[in-house]
Amino acid sequence: MDPTPAVHTTKALHNASIFASLGLNTQLFVFQLINFLVISAIIWWLILKPLNKKLEERKQLIDESVDNAKEIETNLWESEQKFQEHLDQAKVEANKIIAKATKEAGAMENKIKDEAKTEIEYLITQAKKHIEDERKAMEIGVQKKAGKLVVAAVEKLISKKMDDKKDTVYISKVLSDLSK
Amino acid sequence: MTLKIPPLPAEVLFHILGFSITNTIINTWIAMVIFLCLGIAIKRHISMKPGKLQNASEFFLEQILGYFDQVTGNREKTIRFLPIVGSIFFFVLLSNWLGIIPGTGNLTYHHEFVLRSANSDLNLTLAMALVSVILSHVYAFMSIGVFTHLGKFVQIKKVFLSLKKGPIAVISAIVEFFVGLLEIISEVAKVISLSLRLFGNVFAGEVLMMVLSSLIALLVPTPFMLLELFVGIIQAAVFAMLTLVYMSTAVEIPHGSRKH
Repeated sequence: MDPTPAVHTTKALHNASIFASLGLNTQLFVFQLINFLVISAIIWWLILKPLNKKLEERKQLIDESVDNAKEIETNLWESEQKFQEHLDQAKVEANKIIAKATKEAGAMENKIKDEAKTEIEYLITQAKKHIEDERKAMEIGVQKKAGKLVVAAVEKLISKKMDDKKDTVYISKVLSDLSK
Repeated sequence: MTLKIPPLPAEVLFHILGFSITNTIINTWIAMVIFLCLGIAIKRHISMKPGKLQNASEFFLEQILGYFDQVTGNREKTIRFLPIVGSIFFFVLLSNWLGIIPGTGNLTYHHEFVLRSANSDLNLTLAMALVSVILSHVYAFMSIGVFTHLGKFVQIKKVFLSLKKGPIAVISAIVEFFVGLLEIISEVAKVISLSLRLFGNVFAGEVLMMVLSSLIALLVPTPFMLLELFVGIIQAAVFAMLTLVYMSTAVEIPHGSRKH
């Protein structure tokens, strides 16, 4: 059986009084709803969104910096590797150059020594020749001097001035005496 | 000395153009002004090298984002729900704390308290609960589609499909259909529980503080004020976390609708 309109009215009033006793009121509800939406908009647009955006930007910047740092580290490592390779290569080349220079220096030393030796030998030969010439010249001089001395001495002994004619006669006489 | 217990409805202080302005609305406006000033200050001076205010704000934001991540499972979802959940958390926290600043229970206008914690007004808590539950459905509509989401509540399709599978499947589908109807009731229950929990806790705190201050005004209320500070954080976290849970659950695709 359906309840009468009077019962409906009583129930509606009872419900309304419950809501009213709790303080529920349509106008106040709408006011508070608007207030809450406005505050939410303020918090989001003025506080949370800019802060979150900045946090994201900073995070992105940090991520990029970390990536860049890693890239730089890798590049540095590669550069060090290349530097080491170049250094090693330079060392090898330097060693080659040093070896070549040493070899060339040795050859040059030998060449200079040989040249010096040849020069010295030449000088010695020249000096010997010079000495020999001087000796020969001296011998000739001595022979001449000795001849002159002998002549002078013979002249003294025979007390005659000797000339080529007399000398020839005298020699022939001496030879005939000797043959006797 | 008379002991004045605050009534359940917020006290009307005056009228503007015929509209009643209550002490809880005044408190809400104060919170609004504080957030506005804070927001302008932050937005004006925000930079990559944060100042003290920005640093502190970023610290709090990072902290709550960490907690929200534990519920949502990833930062992307957290950021998606942050506009409403973050706003709820900070607003509830500030309005709760505003209710215990000295003077809230003393200043009167026409024998009514000028300030009263905003969340001790059921109109506000109900408005917030409604917004959070409605927005959870809006997010769900945008994420998984209108029909998929509505299918969680009205599972009539399964009933028709089960007709070909035999009596057991039909019974199972009918049970699921009624479970779907229960889900509709649970959505209403979410609004009621969210709004009444916050309202009840904050209003109880108001009454407690009022009674204690009326009995022994010196030093005795201090530990309870500290307790109210703690309750303010807890209630803000509970409201925000529950909203987040509702939203996270709402945007998940129901098992039967998954494509394999």
